[in-house]
Amino acid sequence: MEKIVNDFTINIATANGTGSQSANLILLNALFRMGTHASGKNLFPSNIAGLPTWYIVRVSDYGYQAPGDNTHIQVVMNIDTWSEDIEKLAPGTVLIHNTDVKAPVNRDDLIVYPVPMTSMARKINPKLSKMVANMIYVGIMAEMLEIPQDILEEAISKQFGGKEKAIEINSQASISGREYFKSELEKKDHFYVEKREKDENRFLIDGNEAVALGCIYGGINMLSWYPITPSSSLAEGIDKYIPKLRLDKDGKSTCAVIQAEDELAAVGMVLGAGWAGARGMTCTSGPGISLMSELIGLAYYAEIPSVIWDVTRVGPSTGLPTRTQQGDISMLYEASHGDTQHIVLIPGNVDECFEFGWKAFDYAEKYQTMVFGFTDLDLGMNLWASNGFEYPDKPMNRGKVLRTQEELEKIENYGRYRDVDGDGIPYRTLPGSGLEPIVSRGTGRDEDGVYSEKASVYRTNMDRLKKKIEGSRTDLPQPVFREEEEQDLGIIYYGSMENTIQEIDDILESTGMKVSQCRVRALPLSPEVDEFVRRHKKIIVLEVNRDGQMYGILRKEIATELVPKLYSVAFSDGLPPKAVEYAEAIIGTLESFEI
Amino acid sequence: MAKVNKLDLALDEYKGGKSTLCPGCGHDAISSVIMKAAWENSITPDGIAKMSGIGCSSKTPAYFLRQSHGFNTAHGRMPSVTTGANMANKDLNFLAVSGDGDTASIGIGQFIHAIRRNLNMLYIVENNGVYGLTKGQYSATAEEGSQKRKSVPNELKQIDLCAMAINLGCSFVARSFSGSRKQLTALIRAGMSHRGMAVIDVISPCVTFNNNEESYKSLQYVKNNNEELHGLDYIPHFNPIEEVEIPSGGYKEVKLHDGSYLRLETISEEHDVGDRMMALDAIHNADVKDKHVTGLLYFQEGIPTLDETENLVDTPLAELSEDMLRPSKETLDDLLTGFRA
Repeated sequence: MEKIVNDFTINIATANGTGSQSANLILLNALFRMGTHASGKNLFPSNIAGLPTWYIVRVSDYGYQAPGDNTHIQVVMNIDTWSEDIEKLAPGTVLIHNTDVKAPVNRDDLIVYPVPMTSMARKINPKLSKMVANMIYVGIMAEMLEIPQDILEEAISKQFGGKEKAIEINSQASISGREYFKSELEKKDHFYVEKREKDENRFLIDGNEAVALGCIYGGINMLSWYPITPSSSLAEGIDKYIPKLRLDKDGKSTCAVIQAEDELAAVGMVLGAGWAGARGMTCTSGPGISLMSELIGLAYYAEIPSVIWDVTRVGPSTGLPTRTQQGDISMLYEASHGDTQHIVLIPGNVDECFEFGWKAFDYAEKYQTMVFGFTDLDLGMNLWASNGFEYPDKPMNRGKVLRTQEELEKIENYGRYRDVDGDGIPYRTLPGSGLEPIVSRGTGRDEDGVYSEKASVYRTNMDRLKKKIEGSRTDLPQPVFREEEEQDLGIIYYGSMENTIQEIDDILESTGMKVSQCRVRALPLSPEVDEFVRRHKKIIVLEVNRDGQMYGILRKEIATELVPKLYSVAFSDGLPPKAVEYAEAIIGTLESFEI
Repeated sequence: MAKVNKLDLALDEYKGGKSTLCPGCGHDAISSVIMKAAWENSITPDGIAKMSGIGCSSKTPAYFLRQSHGFNTAHGRMPSVTTGANMANKDLNFLAVSGDGDTASIGIGQFIHAIRRNLNMLYIVENNGVYGLTKGQYSATAEEGSQKRKSVPNELKQIDLCAMAINLGCSFVARSFSGSRKQLTALIRAGMSHRGMAVIDVISPCVTFNNNEESYKSLQYVKNNNEELHGLDYIPHFNPIEEVEIPSGGYKEVKLHDGSYLRLETISEEHDVGDRMMALDAIHNADVKDKHVTGLLYFQEGIPTLDETENLVDTPLAELSEDMLRPSKETLDDLLTGFRA
């Protein structure tokens, strides 16, 4: 059998809280250092310790980043999922198992590497044997796949950043695994890793940290937040970078961080900061958005610049709190009672997480409205490859704020809610300035900000708000296209599906289809999306939720005659999207409509 | 010529729009005291931020201080919005008005946490024991046994906002009555001079739904059952001698953050405002007799405010220029180099 190089998926089954995460990250980092396209997905339970967790590493010379549909190398450490994990393996799969777990392997059609990992770890450090055992399987795989030890050592050093003792123990454990494979096992599989030319610009980072840095460079003044998975690490990221990047020469901060009592308060603080002229933000997940909805409407109607990042998890209700879904997109777009419409920025990779992180504040202040950032657990909490973040290419846009009497006097017929420029965006003055003060409110008001229940006043104001948000369509991040000449079938997708789309496209192409793609990067939709639909004969709207939420938005927003071209392919099981599953669903949908 | 204050402003400059509340509403009396207090204290109207939630009381910021920006937020959410605005601009003078529904029910969590953070604000509760705008349902501050118009007696125990604030360590806690103009003026002026969270719970009779003789919060009932802890005089820092006469009996003075004083004149026995247990006792003793105790219940100077614990730069965050807000390109390059290592 021929060598299989840089084209396989590893699945590592452990229990939560056993320290496997650092071992898995070391493996991923070593593969990344070798220049391969490696990606890692952490499937973890809603639990601190004890419940099963899986880490999936994909290595692909094609650049595929989605978790593979099939497992090629399975590591089993956890008694609770032992038999289930082994049972579902395809014949010929490599199985690396910890013999100290003392559980049976009742399969004779696998390539089995039994290793007494816990006993080996105990010899290195008896107290930490449970944790160190994880580095044994990394050592085994390093030897088996031919990952050089010096690269593994680099990855270990990076992981433990200067903690000499930890570096020493983990290095010993990896060598011990390596030696065991050499002396006690014979390589019977065909999987190998080979070095590729590494793009020195690339590095691994998760979306939450990328957004956090984007906010820091976007001049965030106040972060209010209430802990919720999977958004907490975004808030903690901001908190982490403030001492390094946002203190003045006397060590005083230019950004307040408040852990709020709940999400209602977190969003209230954002509105307060925005109203008073600062850049306020909160981050949360679906349940938090539900709680914030009342004040989201107030921000829209009273025209208060506000930013919320929603790192989506599986709903409804508590749902699967540690699993991923694109389940909030329709909620975000129209959150709150009455007629509302919000700007939603949808990054599809970590570089855009950084970019949209700072841009969100500019849009919020420019349009004087609520701006959402939309990511999900997959993009937010898993490591993705970055090409490097671009420093903001334009100065901060603070919007139409009148700060002095002279500025105010230049505006003819100023009124807080008067459309002076014809773009629907009014001017505002800030508390403390004494300039044309009003009482901001969620009740009806006229163009001067005076309470009013007049029918015509209400309607004119609502039309202006609509016009204001409409104006953002061509100003927001525009869609990214990859188009075929044929223009027969097009796929519209968004967000973290970016990780899977290339592989889906290759699978479809292998069946003879030529498929164009349009990645939506913001709501309200760009007119370019309309044009994309118009150019193609039929359009698949691909997303990770049950009901086809973006499909619904498209149906409502694109030209009526284009609607019959749209077909929804949408489902969700909590896992990051796998390519074969979605490609098959696309083919199935096309077949079911006989198109 | 109209009389002017230290800023050369007439009282008219502190007025607002026409009230739309019921004629005779206690809240209008409080609004009038707020205007007078701000004027007498010579506070720049520009620097005041009027904050409120939802309800009859929360409408009142439109009826005073028209030269100040205001935010009539959402029901029970005024404390969090004020928190954010405070972080954005710590130089603003926050004057907040809320009601018993807004504070003791839907917003009780935010009220508690604003106290816990010691927000630098004056928080006035206009407390009438009923929801006015929705036509007279009991609120959580209605006393057990108190009875509103055309209704059955209230069955549940009241939430005492002052007792709760004292327990939470609030640095300035007072109770007053919309009908006690002199006492209320002194307390509001003192609250404006205080640095940190000042809570003033003002019993403010609802003339439409809760002003019958069976109600413990009717105008007449409060007049008859008001136990004043002390007589109160406010002595401004800019005019320490002329404004008030020295009392003939015993008195104590509380020095406020801006150098003003609140003079507490002993009525029957001396109340020690620095003693938390004595303050809670006073509330309890009045409560068992179905009385209302009014005056400065508790005071503590020097607790750090949220903007202090946040260690913010001296300039309000809302006024910082871009060079203070966006780190340099070099810092980003350094970070990326570290990520790539």
